[in-house]
Amino acid sequence: MNNSWLKENTFHYSEFGDLSRLVDEKQKKNLKISLCLPTLNEEKTIAKEIIIMKSELMSRFPLVDELVVIDSGSSDNTVAIARSFGADVYNANEILPDLEQFKGKGENLWKALYITTGDIIVYIDADIKNIHHRFAFGLIGPLLRFDKIKYVKAFYDRPISIGKNRIRPTGGGRVTELVIRPLFSLFFPELTQILQPLSGEYAGFREIFEKIPFPIGYGVETSMILDIYEKWGLEVIAQVDLDRRIHRNQDTKALGRMSFAILKTFINRQKNLGLGEFKSNLYDEIIQYNLVENEYQPDIFKIAGLERPPIIEIPEYCQKFKPNVN
Amino acid sequence: MLVDEIKALRDTIITNIVLIGQVPAPTFKEKRRSSLFQERLAEFGVDEVTTDGYRNPIGIIRGTSPEKPPIFVGAHLDTFFERDIVHNYTIRENTITGPGILDNSLGVGVLVSLPIIFERLGLRFESDVVLAGTIQSIGKGNLRGTRHLLKTWPTPIRGAICLEGVELGRLNYFSDGMIRGEIVCRIPEEKGVMYKFTPNAILILNEVINEILNLRLSQRPRARIVIGKISGGANHGKIAYDATLGFEIRSDSYKMVRSIYNDLRDIVDGIGHENEAVLDMKTISNLKAARLKFNHPLVKSTAEVLKTLGIKPVSKSTESALSIFLSRKIPTVTLGITHGENSYTHNATMEIEPMFKGIAQIIGVLKAIDSGVCDEQ
Repeated sequence: MNNSWLKENTFHYSEFGDLSRLVDEKQKKNLKISLCLPTLNEEKTIAKEIIIMKSELMSRFPLVDELVVIDSGSSDNTVAIARSFGADVYNANEILPDLEQFKGKGENLWKALYITTGDIIVYIDADIKNIHHRFAFGLIGPLLRFDKIKYVKAFYDRPISIGKNRIRPTGGGRVTELVIRPLFSLFFPELTQILQPLSGEYAGFREIFEKIPFPIGYGVETSMILDIYEKWGLEVIAQVDLDRRIHRNQDTKALGRMSFAILKTFINRQKNLGLGEFKSNLYDEIIQYNLVENEYQPDIFKIAGLERPPIIEIPEYCQKFKPNVN
Repeated sequence: MLVDEIKALRDTIITNIVLIGQVPAPTFKEKRRSSLFQERLAEFGVDEVTTDGYRNPIGIIRGTSPEKPPIFVGAHLDTFFERDIVHNYTIRENTITGPGILDNSLGVGVLVSLPIIFERLGLRFESDVVLAGTIQSIGKGNLRGTRHLLKTWPTPIRGAICLEGVELGRLNYFSDGMIRGEIVCRIPEEKGVMYKFTPNAILILNEVINEILNLRLSQRPRARIVIGKISGGANHGKIAYDATLGFEIRSDSYKMVRSIYNDLRDIVDGIGHENEAVLDMKTISNLKAARLKFNHPLVKSTAEVLKTLGIKPVSKSTESALSIFLSRKIPTVTLGITHGENSYTHNATMEIEPMFKGIAQIIGVLKAIDSGVCDEQ
């Protein structure tokens, strides 16, 4: 396998640490950049993300033009806190209210395309415990500096939080290694060069995002890679080492549900990607078992794998942005 | 007005506190935090950013009168928390919570924010302002960073401010003499085989504590012994083979501190001998007593600045970098920046709003030093 992409399209965030230069590039190209934080009960981390991004990338260096929080209906103080620290906060259900409503990260990201006005959209998870503005400028850098790059994904060291106050230096990435990488290796070996395909931080040009579908839930990261790869090729993608991101440790069953959604996303694309024949009527439920009072009882989760169409197909969006459909 | 101007930089000040605080910096392992300290100062356009020979990071903001000695503003970089502790800070509407924030990530975060605050306020000083993040301060660090920085600094120093996270209103200008030490008791394991009744290290230390409590301490010069830390044993049902007692002797006379230390040594030697246990006493750190007079112009001006801002000054002794400055005859005060709680826990919490007054007082005192309140002593 040719791994030239890995060498040429992999960067370290420090290569883009000269923020004045990035601002110059942005202004020269007359681009606008939007930062979107999708939230659901993130009261512990949201203020920190907003403050650091605003201070470093809006006040000190005008790299980001707008910062929006798209909330899925948090029951904690996420919305109030985000507003008090100056973010534009939207409830996902109130965006494009005439459409059927769904709940999920992918839904928020898709609706952010309608709310934001930037030419470049940066998506950053709102639960990053060790947030730093490199998470945004590291992703923006390649988009501004290299014309061929249209979509940038993050990768990092992955220490995971164990217990309340301690971290374990390595870990995580189980779904990547057990599901995504075997799938990519089987069908698209060159995609294995993307080191953390499931990372929750990425940025890209609107002209890319508006032309691809967005799964409502977990599958959104996988679908983006597959769809961008299929439509524009690997060369428009880059990856950036963001150094270190502390994750929450998830239990195996939660990872099982995530894997199920990812597999559905993958198989939903069997025709476009030329994967061959899979069973056409896939089931929508993952069945896991628990031992309850000496009996194995099924624990069934419905994961429909619904997807939003490319937003360019939504009339309200076309009316607002008048995109070039070609 | 001044406070409001500072408040306009809220996001950047908080960002500095959080970015600094989220980099663990246990004593002797401050390198990453030190790099970040320098990185931030360089980003803020500080004229000179470097380290001294002991690797204390410093930034120098050049003044308008090169002949005036520099003013130091210092904050210790190290905290009590180890590297594998999650150093994630949580910001709420008026608080920030996280390990080490009060001692002393807040102080360091504010220190690195000073250049942009000066810029915003259009402030220039006659003296160079040296922003020093000192390493190896806490516990076994024994203030080595500060000691080295001052010992090797090539010029006289006009005056100094030490920054601590809490409490807003503290105005420290004297420091007691102090010896901090540990008494370690170990029972050689073979004794357990030989004797029916194995000596218990915890009980032996208990004897030591009882003898310490029996000491008659002087009222003038006043003196006291703080028994601040104890650990030992393996589990609930096993005789303890080791135990450690941490103590501090304080007095406004260092001679008195030494005298009490010798009393403690006699106690330790006697009890060790009687119990056939290995009982060691060692010094972790020590400080000589030093002070400014209460009517020193720096003390008076600082009290005035605090009162003008509506802050009630509270003066107590502090055993910190202040004493190193004072022992070198550098007029110095220690100031607290805001209110907080749970100082030494993972949930240490600072209040955001009072911090802006806390920063305003630093600027007031800096201006006072720059106008010459330390020059005539």
